[in-house]
Amino acid sequence: MSAARVRRALLPAGILIGVTAALAAADVAPATPWRHLYLVPVVLAGLRFGVAGGLVAALGAVLAFGPFVLREIEGHGPTRAAAEGIVTLLVLAVSGAAVGSLAARAQRQRERYDTLRAVQRTLADLAPLDRTAARLAAVLTQRLRVDVVGLVLDDGRVVTAGRVDPRSVAAYVLAHREPVFVVDAGTESRARRVVVVPLTSADESVGVLAVERLGDFSREERDALVGFGAALGLALDNARLAARQRRFAEELEQKVGEATARLAEMDRLKSGFVALASHELRTPLTALQGFSELLATRPFAPAEVRRLAEIMRGEIERLGRIVSDFLDLARLERGLAPSIRRAVLDPAPLIAAAVDLFRRTRTTHRLELHVDAALPNVDADADALDRVLKNLIGNALKYSPPGSCVRVRARAVDGVVAVDVEDEGPGIPPEERARVFEPYYRMRDTAALGPGTGLGLSVVKSLVEAHGGTVHADAAPGTGTRMTVMLPALP
Amino acid sequence: MYAITDPWLPSTRGLLSGMPMPLLIVLGVLTAGAGALAAAELVPLTPARAVGAGGAQGALLATAVAWARCDRGGPAPALAAAVVLMGAVGAALSPLGVIAYLAAPVWLWSQRDRLPGLGLTRASFSISAAGGALGVVLGAHLLLTASLTLGYGVRVPTPAHLAPWLAYDVGANVLTTEAFFRGALLDRAQRRWSFALTSACVTILCLVRYFLDPLLPRSLEVTAGAVFYLTLLSLGNCWMYWRSGSIVPGIVAGVAFFACYRLLHVVP
Repeated sequence: MSAARVRRALLPAGILIGVTAALAAADVAPATPWRHLYLVPVVLAGLRFGVAGGLVAALGAVLAFGPFVLREIEGHGPTRAAAEGIVTLLVLAVSGAAVGSLAARAQRQRERYDTLRAVQRTLADLAPLDRTAARLAAVLTQRLRVDVVGLVLDDGRVVTAGRVDPRSVAAYVLAHREPVFVVDAGTESRARRVVVVPLTSADESVGVLAVERLGDFSREERDALVGFGAALGLALDNARLAARQRRFAEELEQKVGEATARLAEMDRLKSGFVALASHELRTPLTALQGFSELLATRPFAPAEVRRLAEIMRGEIERLGRIVSDFLDLARLERGLAPSIRRAVLDPAPLIAAAVDLFRRTRTTHRLELHVDAALPNVDADADALDRVLKNLIGNALKYSPPGSCVRVRARAVDGVVAVDVEDEGPGIPPEERARVFEPYYRMRDTAALGPGTGLGLSVVKSLVEAHGGTVHADAAPGTGTRMTVMLPALP
Repeated sequence: MYAITDPWLPSTRGLLSGMPMPLLIVLGVLTAGAGALAAAELVPLTPARAVGAGGAQGALLATAVAWARCDRGGPAPALAAAVVLMGAVGAALSPLGVIAYLAAPVWLWSQRDRLPGLGLTRASFSISAAGGALGVVLGAHLLLTASLTLGYGVRVPTPAHLAPWLAYDVGANVLTTEAFFRGALLDRAQRRWSFALTSACVTILCLVRYFLDPLLPRSLEVTAGAVFYLTLLSLGNCWMYWRSGSIVPGIVAGVAFFACYRLLHVVP
């Protein structure tokens, strides 16, 4: 017992001793009106210490006043005075219990409000629900003066203790939404009482609250727990909604941030693309303008005229390719597939023709071709396939050093025709392999290696996918890059 | 946590299930027979009283043992009754025979591992001391009240007078009362009802047990005093058992109180 409690007990004890000494000194009969003074320490102790205090004080008063009554009985038998004395003893005992009980009830009511406030403070925390619930259980264990507190949410998730047994009291309450009181759940000397109440919010069950205590749960406490379950359910539901809202806001903020970053990147790429495209368009136009002026103003030998015309034709083809890429990209951005005219065709001659073209025009590199015998036919647009092959071979030549080898291989694999284009260039870092197929995207430090719009591979991807195929980049053996196009083979 | 992790299996055992009925009938017949024979003056009063009290107290201990061993195995209830009866018979046969009363607590303590739930466990010193204090306070109050206000004489305590009573209280009177009313009945009843209701019921039954005891003098003031003191003693013992799970503090309180009570001249 703490010193403060001892000090608070001194006054009732002193009054009790004083009254007894005074009555003994006056040698009074048990019916004396002064006997009612015993009510003072009893009521005082009940108010200060609750039921236990009231009962102890009543016991003291009964022990002190009892001899007066017993002497009357022994001396005069069951007289009216003795009866009054006995009634006084009973009144003292009942008063101690009743006053103590009322004081304890008022105290408990105040504690319940304090508990609700503590619960609301805990639930107002921004921590994740699991952690909040664990803290809530700790708060409730302390505030409700119980041994264990368990919280189970409506999805059967236990947030404070163990796993829910489907035959447990908690599972029953979760299913039936009615409180259960188990009078004994243990083998200890004191009965282990268990109260499980549903946590409700707007007539919906959001979980259960289970409390266990070695000792009694009065009916009043059990009723209070049921009410508390409703309040806690509402608070828990609000906390859950608030947490969900917070999570949603955070996700939204993150998504908006990502979208903004993506738009900024697109904007940057498009700005770069406009500059690049202007440059790419300007180069062949400048050549065409120069050569056409030469042809218009100067006389040339027929062979020279043919050579200049060939150069002009090449530049016009280049312009045509760039414009085709723009058109395809415009369709792509509108969510449309490139326009293709499919027909059954043998890919081998197409591949050989593309390689042959580059062999003739690009003598700085070695070009090797391996085509499996009996390559199956594909259902494809010949022009589209030609653009794909020329794009890939052109890129391989552009981004690999002069004198290196570019290998083109066509093979049949598991119902598809796979075309690999391998170079011996610097290769593509793994983290950029997927991005090179994005429109406008150009790897850093590639501008110096040759002209380009950043559209070629995105157009390749859209064309291949329009055929039901795939294209991907990976590392070639040694250094370099391998681009693989896979098209469904016809049976 | 039981409410969440354990299957809910409501107890189907009745409050009085597991009573050793055949044994209780035999002991009842023995007690009643001893009383009848003594009343008819066919046997001397002292051995008849000893056998009657032994039979009744043996029935209390046998029932306590039967309830404690329920579903778990353990010593036979008849053995418990026999040990108590043996003490009673020993005391009746010879003045030194009262030592036989001590067989019951020794035997019971030796069986404590086989009788879980009967409260045969060591209690903490503080609660045992509280038990002793309760018995001494009630006993001292009784002596003061009886001597100063009611005029009863108080004996000077001598080993020759006190020792046999002490053996009787330790080995039969208090032991069987605490084992049955606290270790068995209170333990079972508090698993159904609140502690307040349970201790009130147990206290009433405990008073009935003492009023049936032929050794209690039949006078108004003694009856009133018995109600007064035994009620407080029983309630105190209920609380101590509830707090500690042991009948030892109750036995300490009971022995201390009855030791004081034996000093009154009202007791033979």
